[in-house]
Amino acid sequence: MYVLGVETSCDETSVSVVKDGNIVLSNVVLSQIDIHKSYGGVVPEIASREHVKGITYVFDQALKKANLDYQDIDLIAVTKGPGLIGSLLIGINAAKVISLNFHIPIIGVHHISGHIYANYIEQGMEFPLLALVVSGGHTELILMKEHFSFEKLGETQDDAVGEAYDKVARVLGLGYPGGPVIDRLAKEGKEVFDFPRPMINSNDFNFSFSGLKSHVINKHHNMLQRKETIDPKDFSTSFQEAVTDVLVQKTIKAKEYYDVKQIIVAGGVAANSGLRKKMKERITDIPVYFPKMVYCTDNAAMIAAAGYFQYKKYGKSDDLYINGHSRLDLERRM
Amino acid sequence: MKKSFKRLVIDTATKYMYIALVINDLEVGYVYQVGDNNHSVTIMPLLEELLQKQSIELKDLDEIIVGVGPGSYTGVRIGVTVGKMIAYLNGIKVSTVSSLALMASHSDDVNVLPLIDARRGNAFMAFFKQENHRISYVEEDVLMNIDLFKSKHKEPYDVLESGKPQIEKVLNSDLLTEIGNIHELVPNYLQVTEAERNLKK
Ligand SMILES: [Zn+2]
Repeated sequence: MYVLGVETSCDETSVSVVKDGNIVLSNVVLSQIDIHKSYGGVVPEIASREHVKGITYVFDQALKKANLDYQDIDLIAVTKGPGLIGSLLIGINAAKVISLNFHIPIIGVHHISGHIYANYIEQGMEFPLLALVVSGGHTELILMKEHFSFEKLGETQDDAVGEAYDKVARVLGLGYPGGPVIDRLAKEGKEVFDFPRPMINSNDFNFSFSGLKSHVINKHHNMLQRKETIDPKDFSTSFQEAVTDVLVQKTIKAKEYYDVKQIIVAGGVAANSGLRKKMKERITDIPVYFPKMVYCTDNAAMIAAAGYFQYKKYGKSDDLYINGHSRLDLERRM
Repeated sequence: MKKSFKRLVIDTATKYMYIALVINDLEVGYVYQVGDNNHSVTIMPLLEELLQKQSIELKDLDEIIVGVGPGSYTGVRIGVTVGKMIAYLNGIKVSTVSSLALMASHSDDVNVLPLIDARRGNAFMAFFKQENHRISYVEEDVLMNIDLFKSKHKEPYDVLESGKPQIEKVLNSDLLTEIGNIHELVPNYLQVTEAERNLKK
């Protein structure tokens, strides 16, 4: 079954063709990151404009690379949320046109289910499994007892982990996005600051990063006032150690409570090398999987993979009334 | 029998959605309805219905005419995306037209000033004249203070803030621009984003 994936929820315009849920025939991603860099974050209006500009080109490349015609496609899977609404609507309407033009069924897919299924492309899945979803918009622990069943165990009570990285990076003058640069500097610094590990021992599977973020920012501010030398490397190491300690600790707690067979880490922050290392060091009894780097950040292959399993599970498609949703519950049935 | 020439017109830059099917210069079916933030949800089902009534498929179309704004940023992107995709998928010609020109064609007055509110006393506006059933620009699309723009035009004119286009008039005008490379089709926002303006400061 050939699934055409479409993803435009933030600042990547992406189209992909995936066969049977894991054979990626093409995965074209037009990234806007260089455009948004100068603004210190994604500007929604600019993101929407860029999606319209690139949309047909990305479709064209994806079909050419897959060496297929639209008539060969069996299903269209498009991200319906959560995300930037103006951005989502471009991908959704483009996908609807293909659906009507070639009479191909279409389904709306939850963005996070895509990030989770990014792992299926490389490793497959064994249930029950635990998914740690970490990105600029999400920090969640999700239990899956079977394909396309999601049970949210806990989530961040304030900032998403990627958001905390961006804000800390901004204060340290490291630019946007914050994750990759902090990750790089963290390898060279020392953990000289003992930053807090919020909620690490709380009696649930929730997270909180806003307190940690403020603590780091205040520390930086105080040192500036006292004219002390600031080494962004040591800040990066100390911050990253605190963040990853919490993420790994909570994951271990959930793993033990639910006795899962594997752990998958999904979302943009899954690319973080400090997190990858600590997870693998501290969890050795069951496999811990991370998606390949190209499938960590937003891409349409993961949406096609998720769409394939969503369609297999529910056996029905959506109609042309699909709408985009800036907020969307993962657990809600379609 | 000579094959008929089928054109689809799409404009979603204002509160009203306009989609029309034109066969051999005659509007054989259309949708013109208000839908504040709903164009994205309704355009494809409505288009499907419009085509079905004439037993036409998207792949039967010969040309797409898209209203490219100015107007609501979110709104205009919907129509442009849909039009761009149809033209790309079927390899057919696409022409753009100002959404203000489409609106102006509704009027039968000699002088027409279409206006799309842009808040704080500003609007997207243009000024058209109509002679011998032909519509043409007197002043092209601008975003500016409403009173200032109006004060420049002394002759009596019809001010429009909505109105179903008389599409035959537009098709017989010089107001259409053919797009050579479909991938280059984008809305005419008439304004850079606030973020870009602030960056230049
Ligand atoms: Zn994402």
